[in-house]
Amino acid sequence: MPDHPTASWQAMQDANVFYRRQQIYSIPGKLPNLDDYKVAACRYGGPLALMRDNDKLVALGRATPVFAKAQIQVFSPAGEGLLIFSWEQARIVRFGWTGDERLVVLNEEGVYRIYDLQGEYEQYSLGSEVAEIGVEDAKIHDNGLVALTNSLTFLEVRGWSGGKPVTLANPGLSQPPSSWTIIPPELTISRHVEVLLSVESTIYTVDNLENTDQRISRGPFTHMASSPNGKSLALLTFAGLLLVVSADFQRNLAEFDTTNVPGAEGSVRQVEWCGNDAILVTWDNLALMVGPFGDTLQFFYSGPTFAVTEVDGVRVVGPDVCDFIQKVPASTVSVFRPGSTSPSAILYDAWENFAKRSPKADESIRSIRPELGRAVDECIDAAGQEWEPYWQRRLLNAAKFGRSFLDLYDPTDFINMGQSLKVLNAVRDYQIGIPITYTQYIHASPAQLVSRLTARNLHLLALRISTYLSLKPDPVLKHWACAKILRSKPSATGSGKNAELTGDSEVCRMIVDKFEKLGGGGVSYADIAKKAWEVGRTSLATKLLDYEPRASDQVPLLLSMKEDRLALAKAVDSGDPDLVYHVLLHLQKSMSLGSFFRLLEDGGEQLAPATRLLQVYAREQNRDMLRDFYYSDDRRVESAVLLLEEASNMTDPTAKINTVKAAQKFFSEDKERGFEAKMMDESVRLLTAQQQLEKDADGKIPFFGLSVNETIRTCLLNGMSKKADKIKSDFKVPDKRFWYIKLYALTAMRDFEGLDAFAKSKRSPIGYEAFVRHLVEKGHQKEAAGYVARCDASKRVDLYVQCGEWRMAGKECKDRGDKAKLDQLRRTCPNSLIARELEQIATSMK
Amino acid sequence: MAAAPASVTEQSSADLDNERLLDTSVLSELAKKDLVDALNSVNGAKTLVLDPSIAGPLGLVTEVSLLKQHGVDKMFWLEPGPLSAPTTNIVYLCRPLIKHIKIIADQVKRHAKESAKHTYTLLLVPRTSILVTRILEEEGVLGEVNVSSYNLQFIPLAQDVVSLEYDNAFREIWVDGDETAIYNSAQALLTLRKIYGPFPRILGKGDHAARLATLLNRSLLPPSSVSPHASAANTEKIDSLIILDRRTDMITPLLTQLTYEGLIDEMLGIKNSHVEVPASLLAPPNPPANPNASSTSASTSGLQAVPLSKEKKKKHHLTTANDPLLAELRDLNFASVGKKLNRIAHRLDEDYKARLQAKTVAQLRDFVGKLGGLQTEHQSLRLHTGLSELIVPQTRTEIFNKSLEIQQNLLASYNVNDQVSAIEDLIAQGADMQLVIRLLCLASITAGGIRTKTLDNIKREILQSYGYNFLPLLLSLSAPPLAVLLPNPLPASTTPSVVASKYPYTSLRKSLRLLMEDTDALDEVENDIGYVYSGYAPISIRLVQCVAQKGGVLSNPALDKEKPADAGSANGKSTSKVQAHPIVGWKGFEDVLATMPGETFDITPKDYVGDDSASTLCKSRDMHYFHSSCSWMVLVQGRDRTTTTVVFFLGGCTYTEIAALRWVGRQNKGRNFLIATTGIISGNSLVDSVAGIGRGSTNSRDAGI
Repeated sequence: MPDHPTASWQAMQDANVFYRRQQIYSIPGKLPNLDDYKVAACRYGGPLALMRDNDKLVALGRATPVFAKAQIQVFSPAGEGLLIFSWEQARIVRFGWTGDERLVVLNEEGVYRIYDLQGEYEQYSLGSEVAEIGVEDAKIHDNGLVALTNSLTFLEVRGWSGGKPVTLANPGLSQPPSSWTIIPPELTISRHVEVLLSVESTIYTVDNLENTDQRISRGPFTHMASSPNGKSLALLTFAGLLLVVSADFQRNLAEFDTTNVPGAEGSVRQVEWCGNDAILVTWDNLALMVGPFGDTLQFFYSGPTFAVTEVDGVRVVGPDVCDFIQKVPASTVSVFRPGSTSPSAILYDAWENFAKRSPKADESIRSIRPELGRAVDECIDAAGQEWEPYWQRRLLNAAKFGRSFLDLYDPTDFINMGQSLKVLNAVRDYQIGIPITYTQYIHASPAQLVSRLTARNLHLLALRISTYLSLKPDPVLKHWACAKILRSKPSATGSGKNAELTGDSEVCRMIVDKFEKLGGGGVSYADIAKKAWEVGRTSLATKLLDYEPRASDQVPLLLSMKEDRLALAKAVDSGDPDLVYHVLLHLQKSMSLGSFFRLLEDGGEQLAPATRLLQVYAREQNRDMLRDFYYSDDRRVESAVLLLEEASNMTDPTAKINTVKAAQKFFSEDKERGFEAKMMDESVRLLTAQQQLEKDADGKIPFFGLSVNETIRTCLLNGMSKKADKIKSDFKVPDKRFWYIKLYALTAMRDFEGLDAFAKSKRSPIGYEAFVRHLVEKGHQKEAAGYVARCDASKRVDLYVQCGEWRMAGKECKDRGDKAKLDQLRRTCPNSLIARELEQIATSMK
Repeated sequence: MAAAPASVTEQSSADLDNERLLDTSVLSELAKKDLVDALNSVNGAKTLVLDPSIAGPLGLVTEVSLLKQHGVDKMFWLEPGPLSAPTTNIVYLCRPLIKHIKIIADQVKRHAKESAKHTYTLLLVPRTSILVTRILEEEGVLGEVNVSSYNLQFIPLAQDVVSLEYDNAFREIWVDGDETAIYNSAQALLTLRKIYGPFPRILGKGDHAARLATLLNRSLLPPSSVSPHASAANTEKIDSLIILDRRTDMITPLLTQLTYEGLIDEMLGIKNSHVEVPASLLAPPNPPANPNASSTSASTSGLQAVPLSKEKKKKHHLTTANDPLLAELRDLNFASVGKKLNRIAHRLDEDYKARLQAKTVAQLRDFVGKLGGLQTEHQSLRLHTGLSELIVPQTRTEIFNKSLEIQQNLLASYNVNDQVSAIEDLIAQGADMQLVIRLLCLASITAGGIRTKTLDNIKREILQSYGYNFLPLLLSLSAPPLAVLLPNPLPASTTPSVVASKYPYTSLRKSLRLLMEDTDALDEVENDIGYVYSGYAPISIRLVQCVAQKGGVLSNPALDKEKPADAGSANGKSTSKVQAHPIVGWKGFEDVLATMPGETFDITPKDYVGDDSASTLCKSRDMHYFHSSCSWMVLVQGRDRTTTTVVFFLGGCTYTEIAALRWVGRQNKGRNFLIATTGIISGNSLVDSVAGIGRGSTNSRDAGI
């Protein structure tokens, strides 16, 4: 039977609060002496990365490897070596872990690589400017990093996809801060990263907008650490005074002097948070826990340690052990605290009695009947907090026992806890080496745990867990497929080229089978194919790509595989114009113009949408290319239209005329386009005529670019009626249209005499009604009335009415003997005066 | 007024249906939230530089105050020239058009030269594009600009209308051959699907509509096995999606719209639901000093009509939210708007008079309670009377009436040659270019082309009258895939696609009952969907009826109701509406559709789990009780369950089409329509966009050839 849970407890603060140190793994001799190394550890029970600390002297011994090259080793918390790789580039300034358990290594030239646990990496840079200046230091958090350059400015990188670094506000430092830290964006109020600098005696807060002096006068500080929830800060001064303040520096939470701690030797190694309420200060052989009220607990180790803050505690890796120190969770305290009389403790006791077949069980249950539901929940929760399966089982049994006395109970929590514990116990095994607590597991999500397992190539376990938790197995399968491709060698059987093919199709079939059998439909074959292509297995890549349903994933790979035509066809087929542009612009860059055009032309109907998109792009951005394209494709009409578009934007008359001429030429080359050619011919003639007109008018009247109608009108308005007539005959303007133009122009000029002369010049081709209507419309009713007599007899009455000439209208009625109409007039007329006149006319008619 | 009681019952039952309408305000909340998120991604005060074509749609989902709350210090239009921003952060919000990007690149470079330090964020609507990155790269400023996106999709214009508000979708698809709009539409429809549940069936007509349907169907994933229950509940909401592309019915937008809202759009122009009206119409009304004043309010505003047109203009948001009368008026034929306004004025007058009858304090208090509502109604009445006064003179011009006459004759295929020469007369009289082009295209489509010689002649007239710079417009209209202005007979060299796209108008007129014979009763009863064009039923809406109200295509449901004898409803309950039939595809109209150009499709998407999902549900033990009660509910609800049919117009739709579709929705119970479109169009805006007018403010319009 494992030790009772309380065996590892230590009381603090008048025995009200307990902390416990649990030994998770025993790792004697598995890790080198941590004092000689720089260490970075990943949260949530993640691995440790170690690199030789070049500032320290090392005694060469048998066990020490050769330090010719910089080397980074990664160990699991159980001390198993996961990865080892060497670093050829410039000096490493900092390394750290991303939220998804990848190792970021940044060197002094601003180049950073992100390694996964298989040693594959992506490389990015902070930019050429930084490369020149050099990087002094950096802080790496889950979703980005902040770098301090040698010119003492700060750069922030958000996300791990190689985004452009953002420059933060310049704090105007003259020397590097004595220490600094960051609060990651997800924990700040502004949701942007905050950098805290210890400068002289104060602290500066820097974000991307401003630099604030917090006016603390107790610095400088050697260590600064922000709590896991970002709300508090732990600061350690040179004098060894530990301060705890709120992150906005408004409140002092605690103070503690570390100088006279017994057993503390040498300098402080680390100041780390244990959950959100206690701080762990470590020396070479001692870890000191400082509680919220200055109470302390001491933990001794046989050598240098490394502590990692977790959301619910702190993990300490020493020479022999990997420990987890945390405040004992409330539910556990409630059940196991000696002398506890809480319902959960009584329930647990009842169950133990029940197991011993003691009648006290019934009595106990009875006594807590009203609070039984809570007691059950607490037991379930306490089970989650226990490390030993033995105690987990006992607590769950107690919960189950209590549950049976409840009428209505939702078993979901119970089932979930059982499932979670099964998963947690599996991954905590020293061979897997992920010592994650239940709280961390919930915090980080089950899916994240699965992805961490796959990153360790533990596909079977990951697959089983995701099936067990009914998560989608696709990410696991994908990772497996990639690993499979890496491991499998093309030469399966047979020899030469043939063997490669059979090997490929076998691997492909295997992968596809697996996905179809287990997958949830969201497979990305393209990613797998990309992997295959990267390792030089083109035919396998092509085979896999055929299974990819999403064109957006297929196309980029096809492009890099130089399958230009196929890529373009797939892009067009996808209907996503952006994807088509992606291919087009890529091809345009990488191919000669001639073969690029040929590719499009040969594509025919299938690639027509791509051709049209290219035209849209080129019309705005690359007209020369478009011209070449139309020319090479004998598209005369399009060429001409292109020229016309350009002409419409030209201001220089000669250039404009020449351009239109060129367009005319294109039209004339196409025998179907006789009409258009003729029109352009007219257009050129008009432009030339307009140039002449402007010259005649001494450039005072703008003609250039007007339409034929407007030209005539402008001539008329400026008293150039001869010229107007000439334009009319030159451009064969029909009489009707000319008459309207002239009518409108003369009316606009109020040249009613001219209008009269014009009306009499010959029989109007548009009739005279148009005259009347237009004049009335423009408010010249009196003038309009003069033309009514020339209109159709049947319409005259109404027209007179429109002119407001009621008397004339009445007379007209009389002339035509239309009595009914006259009556109607009398009814609609506006005033009695007119009515009386109409009356008179009416009487005279009889 | 004989029809009054009938229309009143319709109104109230329409209200009942409203409760089951899909809640489109979710979409505007979504747009608002996305915008706030996008703005908040930039820390601190920022200068917002706005693409004018985004401003309109954006105005429908947010207010300036919201922007200010999220750190927008100053706003500028995105236009060429230098930009002096007071803040370090500059946020550009625009559509990913090359010309916009060039302006931005230019401003960035200018700042660099002046060594002004700014951080630039580029929010592209609706998504980022490789093209933009490329152009920024070519201009050498890619490193300076953070490119991100703001996914603005469907914007609710009314309770039952959502629009993408793309101004140029039609031109892009049918002139440039740029299918971006189709792709974005597919994405937007996927968002709809996410909110309201899957489309059990996708039907439609037209090659580009088919392309959209394929895109949609392809991007739908098989249903996740995780929550079969949730999807089963959602399937109740939407019964199908009907996609129509604009090329399928080019006739309708070319005609002059004759509903109230349609005419406002034709005459004054409605842009993003906003219309420019004289400022005085929007001033709050003074409650009448004596009750007599209100009865003359119609005539007093009539007196103001003349100066109105010259007054300072102000933008007004046409929406039922602040305008109680709009819902009643917008879909009426303009001929009956006057009467309706008159009736409302009388009613208002009565309501005001109620004050005089108020004897007790309680009655008076009641009146005061109603006063606010009365005043809004009064204000709204003033506005609409004013608008009508603005429109009426324009409907009396000779050109307007002549063009209506030509339209009606062309629709009836009456004496086509005369109509063409009438169009020629209109050109001589100096009618608007847009109007002439509309009529000419209409003639070409209805008559299957215009004689080559006549056509060349008329084209020459157009070029001479309006400028030779319209030659590209004429070419675009006659080139595939648009091909709406064709010579007859077609030249031998025409591509087969053009020949195939010829429209069988005359046979459609019969088979889809496009023209109403008896248009007498038109004023009062909204007789058939044809009332929106005074006698012509829009083909697009007939196509929707082919799917959703088959009876309505063959005979008029409104008339049938009035003849209770043959309907077999002898119990006299003739006013009760017929239950809408379930969606059974194009059944019965396959032949008609086959004669029309463009693909016809009817897909059941692969993501839709039919009823068999329910049966698998039944097998799971825990759900047993639940399921049995659930199926019982379905049985009970089955009869009066109301579903929504989503109609998507690719390339835009007109206000009249919306009106007609609402009419169809009112004829049956159990089916609502949600109208989705790439934008609201009118014939003029269509011609303008094909001509490229208003595309770029940089190209000066008057610089003709």
